[in-house]
Amino acid sequence: MAQRGSAVRENSPAHPASPDLATVIVSAQGTVLGWSDDAQRLLGHSPEVVGHAVTGLLAVDTSHAAWHALANGESWSGRLAVRHQDGRRLDVGMRVCPSLDSEGKAHGWSVMTVAPYSPGNEAAGGPDRVGLERPFAQASVALATFDAELRYQRVNSLVGKMLGTEAEQLRGRSYADVLPDGADGGWLRRLRQVARTGSPARYDGYLGDRAWNIEMWSVKDASGRVCGVGTAAFDNTEQHGAHQRLALLNEAGARIGATLEVGRTARELADLVVPRLADFVTVDLFDAVVEGEEPPAWEVGAPVLLRRAAYSSAVEGVPELAVGLGAVDTYPPFSPPARCLAAGRPLLSGLDDPDFVRWVEGDEIRSAGVHRDGIHSGMAVPLRARGIVLGVVVLWRWSRPGSFQRDDLLLAEELAGRAAVSMDNARRYTRERTTALTLQRSLLPQVRPQQAAVEVAFRYLPASSDPGVGGDWFDVIPLSGTRVALVVGDVVGHGVHASAAMGRLRTAVRTLADVDLPPDELLTHVDDLVTHLSDDDGVNAAGPPGESGATCLYAVYDPVSRRCALASAGHPPPSILYPNGTVTTVGLSPGPPLGVGGVPFEVTDLELPESSLIVLHTDGLIQAVGQDLDTGFAQLRDSLAAASPSLEDTCDNLAGSLLPERPPDDVALLVARTRALHTDQVATWSLPADPEVVADARAQATRQLAAWGLEAASFVTELVVSELVTNAIRYGEPPIQLRLIRDRTLICEVSDGSSTAPHLRRARTFDEGGRGLLLVAQVTQGWGTRHTGNGKTIWAEQLLPTSSRWAEP
Amino acid sequence: MKRGAGAAAEAVPPADGTRALGLVFPPADDHYTEMQLDFVGRIAEAAQSYDYDVLLTTGSEVGDPPFQRVLTRNRVAGVILMEIKLTDSRVDHLMDLGFPFVTIGQPGVEDAWWVDLDFVALGRNCVRHLADLGHSRIAFVNRSEQFFRSTYESAHRGLEGFNQGIEELGLNGRMYFCGDDVASGEACLEQILRDDPATTAVATLSEASLGGLYRGLRRAGRVVPRDFSVVGLMAGRWAETVAPPLTAAEEPVGEISRAAVELMMERLKSPGTPPRNVLLRPLISIRASTGPCRSAPDARF
Repeated sequence: MAQRGSAVRENSPAHPASPDLATVIVSAQGTVLGWSDDAQRLLGHSPEVVGHAVTGLLAVDTSHAAWHALANGESWSGRLAVRHQDGRRLDVGMRVCPSLDSEGKAHGWSVMTVAPYSPGNEAAGGPDRVGLERPFAQASVALATFDAELRYQRVNSLVGKMLGTEAEQLRGRSYADVLPDGADGGWLRRLRQVARTGSPARYDGYLGDRAWNIEMWSVKDASGRVCGVGTAAFDNTEQHGAHQRLALLNEAGARIGATLEVGRTARELADLVVPRLADFVTVDLFDAVVEGEEPPAWEVGAPVLLRRAAYSSAVEGVPELAVGLGAVDTYPPFSPPARCLAAGRPLLSGLDDPDFVRWVEGDEIRSAGVHRDGIHSGMAVPLRARGIVLGVVVLWRWSRPGSFQRDDLLLAEELAGRAAVSMDNARRYTRERTTALTLQRSLLPQVRPQQAAVEVAFRYLPASSDPGVGGDWFDVIPLSGTRVALVVGDVVGHGVHASAAMGRLRTAVRTLADVDLPPDELLTHVDDLVTHLSDDDGVNAAGPPGESGATCLYAVYDPVSRRCALASAGHPPPSILYPNGTVTTVGLSPGPPLGVGGVPFEVTDLELPESSLIVLHTDGLIQAVGQDLDTGFAQLRDSLAAASPSLEDTCDNLAGSLLPERPPDDVALLVARTRALHTDQVATWSLPADPEVVADARAQATRQLAAWGLEAASFVTELVVSELVTNAIRYGEPPIQLRLIRDRTLICEVSDGSSTAPHLRRARTFDEGGRGLLLVAQVTQGWGTRHTGNGKTIWAEQLLPTSSRWAEP
Repeated sequence: MKRGAGAAAEAVPPADGTRALGLVFPPADDHYTEMQLDFVGRIAEAAQSYDYDVLLTTGSEVGDPPFQRVLTRNRVAGVILMEIKLTDSRVDHLMDLGFPFVTIGQPGVEDAWWVDLDFVALGRNCVRHLADLGHSRIAFVNRSEQFFRSTYESAHRGLEGFNQGIEELGLNGRMYFCGDDVASGEACLEQILRDDPATTAVATLSEASLGGLYRGLRRAGRVVPRDFSVVGLMAGRWAETVAPPLTAAEEPVGEISRAAVELMMERLKSPGTPPRNVLLRPLISIRASTGPCRSAPDARF
């Protein structure tokens, strides 16, 4: 006001109190919208007349051309007789300036200037100069006039405010010279356009931190030539802000929550709000949320531990992060983020908040953010969804001057709410997927079982698509006599159902393997089991995937004979890399999948040189998108030919070269390098079926142990040999064989030609001979029976004497 | 395996200061075979554990000067004799002298100290092993006739065991002499198949002719062990080196040597004790040269 007053005094020093120019704003209907105090002085009426019809006030005939122009939104100027409030007649010069929109159409209201008429004024080329000056200077909108070269001619004080400079310094300067920093050239271009074409225009944009709606119109001289431009700028900041917020919200719907990843959603939120709402934002989450769990309850008043999930800054690196991405930050209970979490409500903070200052000063990096980078205002908003708080998003301003307002807080809360719901969805999905994966992994071997027959490496690779897990499995099962079973199987379908079915099958295979069944018999038993399970479950086509239709490959490798016996139930055959570099895919008869029944399984027997590489896998490895099986097998062989000495690397290379970035199916992969037991580790003897030979067998075993440096094991071994050989001679049939294997353990085996097992495995009581077995069971680490194609083998296993130099095979 | 030297010295006080044993070991033909050298080493090793040295000498008959030399002037406390014949002049001489000795191989006299392999059992076990696999027409390849006639005990006892086995199981068996060389082995096999083409297995005592035996089988189109089984009564380390590796009992060289030295020590320590014998019966180590008889009607496999 003071400024405006001074401008008036300076511009019209000769007429300090003369009411020579009145401004009235009138709607198209003739209703008074604005009544200046000059109008009160000139026309007598007080501002209470706002809302009344101007025609009635001034007692002017409504058919007058002036009113016609007013109603039609046209400009008009001329002489007119009006009536003062006290009843006297006044001759005035009147000018009606309609407000136009960007298309030059009447905008619904007009500025009407009224000045006492004098012939001198007219001669001076327009309405009374002084009468115009005051309303101009005191207008509530920022008014400016430019000459034809677009130099400032006359401005009111609001223009100075708008441009951040003194109004009187503008006169005579080109508009372009005083364009404030940050303003674009749009206004200038529009202004030039108006000067050139003479048609009015409108410009919406930012100057400084305010939004303006600027009307521009051309001023023409009597000949109709444009001799200048007038502008009127309305501060549109509030409306504009509302519009921007709406746009941001709209965009949030499209950009936040595009994926089911917590971290990604946090990043989307951070990227959305910078720079449009804030200059710097951090998104911090409870650890549990990232892992898919519900956040734990924390004690109010205790520091809050949060993990940084995302951040974004208008200028990278400014301000410096107090904690990096993925690190944990501790928020003291009085800090704004902790307070907002405790209250469950968003809050505004800034330099005027003593707790903010206390928090910031307690941390060197945050303190620098305030003092060096200029952080001055902030908002902390909880990420709440479905009644639980997942974390907090904190927004800061340091580059733009304005503080956050209530409206910003509401907007931030709305955005945070949307992001939180997405994060909660992602969290729940993560939990489900993690559960399924955990189940799957718990059903698969985690460590390499203790066995010396093969060196193994394995992988389970979940599919990248929906639940990820499937029913693929593998197993490495140590068998008696240092043999080992290698298993790979695949249950139809995906998800937890498939994992559970896989678990059942794997256990069945393990159990049957423990009974030492040959591969074909084992698969026959599993097949029966699957058939029975399906019957019991009443599984139909629409039901969840079960064991039925599962495939399985079972291979037994014997490092003594270096033979590998395989049988397959509808499973892809393994590929073998021989030590000489040849690679083949084993040609075995694949048999029907499990649960089909009726067709016998066939055993394929291979002799493998030492250090052969066997690759067992599920079809996911060779069935990448758009490939037939033959191509897949060929690719597998190519990759295998280039296998590295390390099995782990080989696994990685196979998976890397055969699988796409995001495999559509899960894959189980098992790579085994065969070892061989040489004659210095195995000794086999033929025994005549003659009780006399027992002593010889004992002596022979002792002799062998002496040769191996295992004299410490002689006592137990002699006992075991005596018992087992006696049993074989007494109850078995020739040919009888005694075998000693020195591996991780010392294994003593006696085979004979009878398939009658002495008793159920691991029997505790037995007849005369069985008591011998009981003795054997007590002095050894374990014993068992296995049936072979031509009889049976009873084995007993002892730990190697630790003092022996052979303790480490 | 090593015994404490102090304890051993205490156990065997040197009566006359002589701490040496004589090893009378005539080489086969004119040189020691690998297995013979193995024996020499093992005996020396075993003797050393009692603080005794070994004086190695030859002599297959009592009149051989090296044999006579070793007995003179208390050079050795006792002798270990090898390559024993059923009737051995060296044994008789030592018995007469009352000189302490231990033989590796059974001498044909009472009251001698000896260590031996039970060749009778070995021969019998070979037959039983082959019979277990279904073989019923079996040939026995013995050492050369000359060797046999010079009454080497292993050749006789091995044959005895073979015959026992054949007889008790009611099988068909024939015996063949075979020289210690490849050509003899090949000729012997030809003869076997000529005499009885239905022969499916051979038990052999002649290790040196094994290569020829295998060659003959190949020429006859018999694949070992699919069509024809070969079992050795006794084999050294070379059983591993032939293809297919020979199923045979292994000669427990270390144990025989140790037992011989132990018997000697026992005899020296208590001169009056009655003689003791050690008879070892190693089992047949299964390698790859025997398999089920395919032509046998009652084959179990």
